[in-house]
Amino acid sequence: MTKVFTDGLSFAIPLLIMAVGAIYSEKSGVTNLAIEGFQGFGAFIGAFIAILLMPVLGNGSQAVIYIAMAAAAVGGGIYACIHALLCIKFKANQVISGVVVNILGVALTTFFTSAANTAINGTASNKFILGVSSRFSIPGLSAIPWVGGLFKNMYPFEIIIIVLVLFFWYLMYKTRFGMHLRACGENPQAVDAAGGKVNKTRWIAVIISGALSGIGGICFAYSILANYSPSIYMGYGYLAIAAMIFGNWNIGTTALVCLIFGFAKSGGYQLCIAMGLPSNYSDLFLMLPYILTMILLIFFSKKNHPPKAAGEPWDKGKR
Amino acid sequence: MNTKKKNRWLSGLLTSEKYSSFTVSVLAIVLTLVTASVLLLIMGKNPARAFLCFLQGCGFAPKANYGGGSGMLSDLFDFLNYLAPMLLASLAFIVGFKAGLFNIGIAGQMLMSGFAATVIVGYNKSIPAGLAKPLVIIIGIIVGGLTGALIGYLKYKFNIHEVVSTIMVNYIISYTTGFFINNKYVDMLTRTSRVCSPASRLTWTGVQIGGVGCKVPLGIVIAIVMAFVVRFIFDKTAFGFELKAVGLNKNCAQYIGVGVGKSIVASMALSGVLAGLAGVTYYLGYSNTIIPKTLAGMGYDSIAVALLGNSSPVGSIFAAIIVTIFQQGANYMSSTIGVAKEIASLITGILLLYASCGGHMKELAAGILQKDLYREIEAKQASEGSGSGKEEKR
Repeated sequence: MTKVFTDGLSFAIPLLIMAVGAIYSEKSGVTNLAIEGFQGFGAFIGAFIAILLMPVLGNGSQAVIYIAMAAAAVGGGIYACIHALLCIKFKANQVISGVVVNILGVALTTFFTSAANTAINGTASNKFILGVSSRFSIPGLSAIPWVGGLFKNMYPFEIIIIVLVLFFWYLMYKTRFGMHLRACGENPQAVDAAGGKVNKTRWIAVIISGALSGIGGICFAYSILANYSPSIYMGYGYLAIAAMIFGNWNIGTTALVCLIFGFAKSGGYQLCIAMGLPSNYSDLFLMLPYILTMILLIFFSKKNHPPKAAGEPWDKGKR
Repeated sequence: MNTKKKNRWLSGLLTSEKYSSFTVSVLAIVLTLVTASVLLLIMGKNPARAFLCFLQGCGFAPKANYGGGSGMLSDLFDFLNYLAPMLLASLAFIVGFKAGLFNIGIAGQMLMSGFAATVIVGYNKSIPAGLAKPLVIIIGIIVGGLTGALIGYLKYKFNIHEVVSTIMVNYIISYTTGFFINNKYVDMLTRTSRVCSPASRLTWTGVQIGGVGCKVPLGIVIAIVMAFVVRFIFDKTAFGFELKAVGLNKNCAQYIGVGVGKSIVASMALSGVLAGLAGVTYYLGYSNTIIPKTLAGMGYDSIAVALLGNSSPVGSIFAAIIVTIFQQGANYMSSTIGVAKEIASLITGILLLYASCGGHMKELAAGILQKDLYREIEAKQASEGSGSGKEEKR
C-alpha cells in the first residue's frame, strides 16, 4: 500500500507541472494541445545536456540532474516559441498548430537522438541512457502507516516541482501579471482597452507552458523510463490536458486530479502484482489511467468552463 | 524593380482564387526541400544525391543494382502498397476536418480494424480467397466506422474534445490489442502477431511482371476510388454540404436546420470507415503481421498529407505520393548514404509545419499586393496632382 502512494506521487507530480503549463497557456487564450511535444523536446534538450555533462561531472553525480532540469525548461520554452509563432503571429488554427508541434517534436527528437548518438559514441541507438534519480525519505513522516508512503523514497525533483507549482499558483492568482493573463483568455479586448499587451502576455504564457512541460518531461525520463528515447511520447502530455479539463482550468483542482491519476496507475500496477498475474497482464493495468480519463471526461466535460477566448487569435479590431 | 515584379507575380499566384490551393502547397514543398537540403549539407551529405535515393527507393529511378528476382517495378509496387493506406488515412482525416473535427485517432482506428480482420478472417484458413478479401474489407469498414462513431458520439453527447478522446482511445486500443496478441496470437520467433493467411491478404505477393516479382496491391484501387467518392460526397450531395456547413459555422448550420449532433457523429463514422479501410490495407496488405503495442506512424503522416493537399480529396492523392516517397524511400536512402532513416519523419514534420503556415503565406501575399496597389494609386494621384498644378500655373 505504501508503494501505491510512493509511485503514485512520483507519477502525479511531473504530470501536475505539465498540467500547470497547459493551464497557463489556455488561461491566456491559446489552446494548447502541444504539451506532448513540449515535454518531449524539453526532455530531449535536458537529456542531451546530461549526456554531455556526465563524463565531465562523473556518472553518479546528482548535480547533472538539476542542470538537466534547467536545460529542459529552457529547451521546452524555446520549442514553445514555434507554437506561439504559429498561433499568435501567424494566426493559424491553434488545434492544428498543436498537432503540428507534436508531430514535429517526435520527428526532431528521434532524428537528433540517433544523430547525436552516432556523433558521440558511434552507435545509431535512439536512446540516451540517464539512469534513475536518487531517492530520499523524510524522517518521521515516512514512518506513518499507510500515508507514510507519500514521504518515502521521494525523488528530489518532486520537492522542486511542488515549490514551482506553488510559485506559479501565486503568480497566476495573486499578482497583477496573473490577473492580466487570465483576462487575456476571457476578454482580450478589455485588456487592450486597459492598456495591457495581449499578444505579449500570450507569448509569455506559451513560453512558460513550454518550460514547465519540459521540466515534467525530463522528470519522467529520470524516474519511470531511466533513459531518454522516443518512448517518452507515451501520451502523458495528453493526460495532463485531460487533467486540466477535468480540473476545470484551476491549478488547485487539477493537482487533485493528477493525484487521482497517479494513484490509479500505481494502484492498478500493484493490484496486478498482488493478484499474482503474469507480467503480460500488466498491459491491461497500464491502460487504467487512460480509461479513467475517458470516464471522468464523460462526467465532467459538460459542466466545465474553458476560458472564453481560448482558441481564437486576438484581433484588435474585433468586437 | 525586377524583384518587385517577381514578388508581385508570386503573390498573385498565391492569392488568385484559381491557383492558390495549388501554389501554396507547392511553395510548402519547395521550402521543405530547401530546409532539408540545408540540413543534409550541414551533415556533410549531398542533398541532390539523397533526393535521388528517395526516388530510387520508390522505383521512380533505376537503382545501381538489384537483388535476384526484383527490379524497378517491384520497388514501384511496394511504393503503391504503402501509398494505398496513406491515401485512405489522409481521406479519413479530411472527412473529419471538413466537419471541423480533428481525427487524431486514425492510427488507433487502423489498428483496431486491422486486428479484428486479422483475427476473424486472417487466422481462419478455411475461408477461400474469393470470400476472404471482401470479408476483410467489410470488417474494416464496420470496425473502423464504429470506433469513429464512438468518438463522434462522445463529442456530441458529452462535449469531450475529440483530440483528447481519440488519443485516449488510441492508447486503450494499442494496449488491449497488444495484450491479446502477446497472449494468444504471438509468433514466438518475431514477437509480432502470427502472419495472416495469403487468401485474406489484400495484396497478391510474388506476381511475375516483366520477369521480376511484384506485390500487387488491391488497396490502391480502393484508395483512388474512395478519393473520388469523398469528392463526390462533398461536392454533389446534401449530406456533404451539411458536413461542410457544420465545419464552417456550427450555429449557422443549426439555424438553417442541419442536425449538428447527427452530422458530427456521421462525419466521425465516415472518417472511421476510411481509417478502417486504411487499417486493413496496411495490416493485411502492406504487411501481414501486427507489431503489438505499436501505432502506425502513418496515422500522423496522413495529417501532413491532408494539410498539404489543402484538404481536397484529389489534391491529397498528389500530396500522398510526395509524403510516401520520403517515407518509403528512406530505407534505401539510409543504406546508401548513411543518414538515419528517421529523417523521413523529420521531413514530413517540416512539410507539415510549412503547410500549416499556408494561411499566413496567403495573407502575406495579399498584404504585399494591397501595398503595391496603394503605392500605385498614390503615385498616380501624385502625378495627376503635379500635372494639375502645372496647369494652374499656366
